[in-house]
Amino acid sequence: MTENTIQTVRVKKVINECEGIKTIQFNLKEINSFNYNPPKAGQFVMVWVPGVDEVPMSLSGCDDDGNWAITVKNVGECTKAIHNLNIGDFIGVRGPLGNSFEFPKDQSKVSILVGGGFGIAPLKYLASDLSRRSFKTIIIDGAKIGEELLFINDFKTLNNEYSEIFFCTDDGSYGVKGMASDTFKSLIKNYTKSDLSNLIIYSCGPEKMLYSIFQICEKYNIKLQVSLERIMRCGCGLCGLCAMDPLGLLVCKDGPVFSLKELKQLEDFGKHKRDFTGKKVPLD
Amino acid sequence: MLEINISGLKLKSPIILASGILGVSCSTMKRVINSGAGAVTTKSIGPKPRIGYKNPSIIEVYPGTFLNSVGLGNPGIDDFVSEIKEIKNYNFPLIVSVFGDNIDSYLEVALKAENAGADALEINISCPHAEISCIGINKDLTHSVITELKKRIKVPIFVKLNPNVTDICEIALASEKAGADAVVAINTLEAMIIDVNVKRPILSHGSGGLSGRAIHPIAVKKVYDLYKVLKIPIIGCGGIYDWKDVVEFFLAGAFAVQIGTALYQGFDIISKMNYNLINYLEEKDYHSISDIRGLAHQYKVQEVPDFD
Repeated sequence: MTENTIQTVRVKKVINECEGIKTIQFNLKEINSFNYNPPKAGQFVMVWVPGVDEVPMSLSGCDDDGNWAITVKNVGECTKAIHNLNIGDFIGVRGPLGNSFEFPKDQSKVSILVGGGFGIAPLKYLASDLSRRSFKTIIIDGAKIGEELLFINDFKTLNNEYSEIFFCTDDGSYGVKGMASDTFKSLIKNYTKSDLSNLIIYSCGPEKMLYSIFQICEKYNIKLQVSLERIMRCGCGLCGLCAMDPLGLLVCKDGPVFSLKELKQLEDFGKHKRDFTGKKVPLD
Repeated sequence: MLEINISGLKLKSPIILASGILGVSCSTMKRVINSGAGAVTTKSIGPKPRIGYKNPSIIEVYPGTFLNSVGLGNPGIDDFVSEIKEIKNYNFPLIVSVFGDNIDSYLEVALKAENAGADALEINISCPHAEISCIGINKDLTHSVITELKKRIKVPIFVKLNPNVTDICEIALASEKAGADAVVAINTLEAMIIDVNVKRPILSHGSGGLSGRAIHPIAVKKVYDLYKVLKIPIIGCGGIYDWKDVVEFFLAGAFAVQIGTALYQGFDIISKMNYNLINYLEEKDYHSISDIRGLAHQYKVQEVPDFD
């Protein structure tokens, strides 16, 4: 059994996060007691709904008992099938795949997590890890409308001594009005040069939002880790569909988390992806 | 030491990227070359864009052994021409793998690939999970496709052999007779895995092709058999995992080798193999990797004993 082998496991828990978004939990420790490979925040899994499809999904959490979680928005055929799953149903899982978020070097650093829409999912996993290690963390959780804002209660129950939470919505129906990237921009507006050099930004969400966060971080030379998403078949560096030109970095294997230094050299970032034929097409 | 010349193609290393792995963008093929490969083979390109089969389409079965049914997903030759031209800017040997539905479409794709700058063509007559596999299991069909291609194509033509046949030598000989410059042996082996919990085949297409470690001894046997009957070079392909597997292919009679599945371990494995191959040759006092070609054939194997 390796991380690229499909293992079928029963759905253990289903959480209705909000309209159109569910969290599904399954346990990989119980069936792999001898060679359990725990995931890290930022890694992903390939999730197979038998008879439907297999898609890459970021992990939104994993506890010490080996309960892995994915948070899924109902946007297509496979995600709809995931939403229709009941407790006890079998799904196939391959993982953990890809690299992970790098933790700050020491406790003096300040982490800012910027998530747009359900891009907040892998950042929730990271937030709980950072909080557990008592890293100072600022979370910016953004969505289009208040009803779609994820993990409000989860974030509110994080270690308050070390974390600060901002909610924002495009229509202003919850928290600050504006996009997560705008909130980030205004947050660091009054930071001094030494404040900025002490920051490490983690971000996931729509790639246009990621690109604007990248531009801000590039301008002020702030450390950045971004989680990207691309179409993939293998999840382990063989099919080549997730290649980022011109370096040929693979989102499945070299990513999904990329640093500012890498992003600077990736012309495809914010612009192109490859479809299932392998043809390069503009990002939606 | 590792330099070889195959049908006029001069390679710095005998290790070639196999078709179907990473060969869809110039950037990843460049990475493979920078890791020490002597040449790259593109994904199989057909006349039109194909989405291929749904996922799961590539999964690991045992450590190092994979099952896939991509279903010839490819952007189509008209779109891929720009990728070929871009690769040619970097000046490394490029083999374009081509397929079609009939002789005319094979020829159309082959001509466009040659015009765009391909240094050689690999003819995929052997994909075990698409409708064209019928060509590779029939010696007459193989002979006609290769004969027609040889009439119009100037660059070397390599034929990728299907191992899912009763007698691979008969197809290889038909290719040789039709003028093929080399054969690549072998493509993946037809296979299936069924999940015990959901009780259905895991691949969306049901069955697929097995590659990686488990098929290496099978590929070695095919290369060994082909070496006895063919005059044209054989490119060994199937389950190379480390440098010893490369040596084994050469001892069986290969002129060059292809590597694919093993790249799930990362790009570095190619440069490591080159390094270890040189060490092996130096230690054994050989001047070139070609010196060890076919050496396993000098040993007699035991014949079937009489039953009287």
